[in-house]
Amino acid sequence: TKNLEEEGSESADRPFLILSFQYDYVISKFNIYNDDGECIKDDISEVSTLDKNSKRTFASILSRCALIRSVIELWGSGTTTDSCANSVKTLSMNEHGIKLLSRHMVDTTSWKITVHTLGSKYNREEQNEMRAKFSFLNFPGKIQMKDPLHEYIIIREIELDFKGSPIYPRRGIHKDIIPEHDKLPPLAVYFGRILGGRRDWRGGRLEKYNLKSRTYLGPTSMDSELSLIMTNLGKVRKGSFCFDPFVGTGSILLTCGLRGGYCFGTDIDLRVLRGRSQNENVFCNFEQYKLERPELVRSDNALYDRHYRCHKPIYDAIICDPPYGIRAGARKSGSKLDQPRAVPEEHRHDHIAQTKTYAVSDVMADLLDVAARTLVMGGRLVYIIPSMTDFDVNTDLPRHECLNLLHICYQPLQTELGRRTVTMEKVKEYNPELKDKYIESVWINGTDAAEKCERIRERLLEVAKLKPDYEEKAAMRKKRRQETKEAKKKAKYANQAKSDST
Amino acid sequence: MRLLTHNTMRNNSEKAKGKGWPLRITAVEVRVDDADEIGSEPEKEIAFVKGILGMLDWPTLVQGASQMGLTTLPQVLTEEMSQDTEFLRALYHVLMNVHLVRGMLTCPDTGREFPVTDGIVDFSMEEEECENVRYYH
Repeated sequence: TKNLEEEGSESADRPFLILSFQYDYVISKFNIYNDDGECIKDDISEVSTLDKNSKRTFASILSRCALIRSVIELWGSGTTTDSCANSVKTLSMNEHGIKLLSRHMVDTTSWKITVHTLGSKYNREEQNEMRAKFSFLNFPGKIQMKDPLHEYIIIREIELDFKGSPIYPRRGIHKDIIPEHDKLPPLAVYFGRILGGRRDWRGGRLEKYNLKSRTYLGPTSMDSELSLIMTNLGKVRKGSFCFDPFVGTGSILLTCGLRGGYCFGTDIDLRVLRGRSQNENVFCNFEQYKLERPELVRSDNALYDRHYRCHKPIYDAIICDPPYGIRAGARKSGSKLDQPRAVPEEHRHDHIAQTKTYAVSDVMADLLDVAARTLVMGGRLVYIIPSMTDFDVNTDLPRHECLNLLHICYQPLQTELGRRTVTMEKVKEYNPELKDKYIESVWINGTDAAEKCERIRERLLEVAKLKPDYEEKAAMRKKRRQETKEAKKKAKYANQAKSDST
Repeated sequence: MRLLTHNTMRNNSEKAKGKGWPLRITAVEVRVDDADEIGSEPEKEIAFVKGILGMLDWPTLVQGASQMGLTTLPQVLTEEMSQDTEFLRALYHVLMNVHLVRGMLTCPDTGREFPVTDGIVDFSMEEEECENVRYYH
């Protein structure tokens, strides 16, 4: 195949990466062998990555990936659909191609050809015209649009900008075709067989693990895709001991469980741990996916060594989304008062201890110190930190002598706001005598950096207020809130009246 | 609360003078998962137990297990046992499949109590217990 990568377009990264392998190497990778060395089938299924005896196949790699959309066995490519078809024809006539295609010429298989046109809509007729160019392949078996055994794909690639939109869109705002753009040749056309991708994880669609279908959710539940990525960054695998010190509704911990890890979560908020009812809580979410019950403790991460023995490191991974006070207040144990009064013995059990604001600088310092202390060597800490445009990764991230900063992954959320997923690895043994020194050195530039996070809520509000229709929208929201409140009150009294009269 | 968790817990307060463990378990409701029902993966379990064996305090485990109604653990852990896969599997069961659903944990040195409800231990600290505890070693 021509190396289209070298036809350098400086403008944007291409969405496809073409990898070249030796044919035999390729074939050995696409088959799954059983313990006797017999080739079972040429199909994608989940393979345990911990089993050292089974061959590492693309299937096992794909079963971990959350971001790879699909991997395609490339049969041909060209700069037009015709030249692509010709290159596939050439392949079908040489020795290797004949071997390759013969595996698919079985009567009982179902198949379909997907047409993937980047950034442009082609109607069914136009798609069928493209499919027709490959009819010489003459696949036996029947065409099946939903979940066929073999899915082939024609990709028509055009130039995209950095946001992923076409630079010369085929259609205008009113969906009419723009002739000058339509006439432009594609960057490339590819034909191949889909080997697998996100759709195959755990034998079903990735979408099954979406938050939408969870029993128990909260405003801070982490979206499943990001939590899958976090578990990859944390190298969570079967048997990993995972800890989330800000477990909340357990969305991140759940993903650790899905990866086969042992799950331990703590939170300072007992209500979120207990959930809304017997049927709506963290345990129910785990049950929903047939996972073992996670271990949950109501404790304050600021006081970790007040509650747990830290004599030996135990966690393989600490994966969390710390509270920054943007959507949920960050709390720690303790009174706002300087001289809190002791609670008399008889009121102990009923008393709900006050909590006070937990400064972001302390949240992070405590998190890194607990991680340094409790992670095994090589264990990973993965956390999310929100940042606005003035965030400088070189100076604004917390540091710890025992932890090495490995990866920083940025995800834009709004124009002003984004979030970073930070990965750190334990590389040095923790010395308890140095705790004070460790804590003092967490912030390179002092706590100003931490304050950047703390003030995000304020700053977002400042930015929002500058928008033209802010006052109007705020008034509307207030009105709606009042209406909902009234409606709830009415419903409550109606129910009350009903139960009183019966 | 599982016995593994109990093994790592303490009430590290100033009054307890750095001890504060093992916490005494008063079990009101205990649930034991049936290994056959929940499914088991022997290799994964053995690997896990081997991994955490080094940090377990054996006397604490024996005492805790007996307070939860399990008296089958040997008083001493020998080298031989820690290599025996059948023993390790049984140990996994004790550490991970026995849950304290409702009860109380009591500090042996100060008497401070921590309730356990729905399997969740409540370590909430009262206001006056928190101050100046941040840098406690």
